[in-house]
Amino acid sequence: MECRELEERLTLLLYGELTSAEQTACEEHLAACAACRSAREKLERFHKVLARRPEAEVSPALLAEARMSLDEALDRQQHGWRALWNNGLPILRFQPASGFALGLTLVLFGFGVGWGLRPHINARTANLGVANTADVSNSDLQNMRISDISGVVPDPQTGGVKVTLDAERRVTLEGSLDDPKIQQVLLYAVKSYDNPGIRRDTLDALRSHADNPNIREALIYAMRHDPNAGVRLEALGAVCSLSPSADVHNALLEALQNDTNPGVRVAAVDALIASTEKEGCDEPTAQALAKLATTDTNPYVRYKCANAVMKFGK
Amino acid sequence: MDGICLEFASKASAQPSPASEADELSLIRRAQEGDRAAFDALIRLYDQNVLRLAMQVVGSPEQARDLYQEAFLKVYRSIRHFRAEAKFSTWLYRVVMNVCLDHLRRQSTRKEVTMMPPEDGEPEFFQSVPDDRPALDPERAATSNEIGRRIQEALARLNPRERMVFELKHYQGLKLRAIGEICKTSEQTVKNSLFRATQKLRMELGDLA
Repeated sequence: MECRELEERLTLLLYGELTSAEQTACEEHLAACAACRSAREKLERFHKVLARRPEAEVSPALLAEARMSLDEALDRQQHGWRALWNNGLPILRFQPASGFALGLTLVLFGFGVGWGLRPHINARTANLGVANTADVSNSDLQNMRISDISGVVPDPQTGGVKVTLDAERRVTLEGSLDDPKIQQVLLYAVKSYDNPGIRRDTLDALRSHADNPNIREALIYAMRHDPNAGVRLEALGAVCSLSPSADVHNALLEALQNDTNPGVRVAAVDALIASTEKEGCDEPTAQALAKLATTDTNPYVRYKCANAVMKFGK
Repeated sequence: MDGICLEFASKASAQPSPASEADELSLIRRAQEGDRAAFDALIRLYDQNVLRLAMQVVGSPEQARDLYQEAFLKVYRSIRHFRAEAKFSTWLYRVVMNVCLDHLRRQSTRKEVTMMPPEDGEPEFFQSVPDDRPALDPERAATSNEIGRRIQEALARLNPRERMVFELKHYQGLKLRAIGEICKTSEQTVKNSLFRATQKLRMELGDLA
């Protein structure tokens, strides 16, 4: 091996990037050549100098901050319009002609639905003059097929409620929440009616009688099962006013663990913290909080859970 | 591929050990199906090393955090296109390296050399020191702090690709073959970049050796 060859390979030799045969040839040459040994020593000294570059310190605070910022950016990415564009509308993205066809179809569909509903709207409008009554018998009520609930208005002065609904005819029920007829309609509304605004108003009306077992059960049901996050949140607020019990605690824990909406989960963790401060922290709650402090998809929920874990020392 | 980059990923002591390949593959598949928790778990295997690499490249914590975020957002957007033909770590570090290269190119376009942030009241020593500066005071040069600064300066004068190759080879200890895979280039091209970088650095820092 010539000195020039060795000079070319010296860098690779120090990095351990030569084959064993190449390495042996280099070592043999170095053993016999003082000039090349000197060159190697110089390169080794140079590497020692490079090792004096300060090591970049990644502090736990910087890492946590970077992770938090990334989480927030990913949340925006996941739930923002970009996600819709990326995940929901691939046809529009790649095939403008298909997008146009889809748009046209939607317009025609909307027009068709509007035209089809026209006779029903006219019929409803024609029946608006039906008499109001507060005197509806139980059998009347049970036989009614409610087609529309147009208003649930609590009366703070009397503690009663006024419900306007359409069955075979338009009816306005007015009375106390203790009245079984009123309760029956409101419990139907909160569990089964398809308008979330009405369900929310109904929950608002029911709050004042949350200690009634039927109403209590309906509030918990709405918190667990209502398809609308706003209604679940309203129900959760009402459930928090219930007297502490295992079913309330379990429902809150379930909301924290399973609700798809981060706002509901945040409200649930707040409610659990408040009840835990009074009642103490049981093992399933402590475990759930500890797990969600690292696994919940929402950074604020994780933050809240982590704070709770620190607070209760489990 | 032989997991070279995974070795690199596990170099940092505080970073959790990489999951087994089966675990990692499962996380990748779930992340590709939109499972955010799986994506989070997957990037936690590498994110500390990525942040450290970004810190070495840009010097400032704020910029390193931005690069970290930019890199992982790109990974998130494109993970569904990842095919298991390559190691995930190689693919990930390719994304990270491209983000770092873009940053270095933007920086060199602006003709700014940003190093470690100055201490309070300290002059902006790192800002574009001219080439014809006088030789440093030997007493100051004797301090390791000063040597560290000069090394950072010399590294910043390399072109972006030489800088990244040198960083990955010399400081991160990757094999040339792995760097070639990350850079999507031949091992010989990586060697050439490494030689050029070494030569330039020796010229700049020769008086310290």
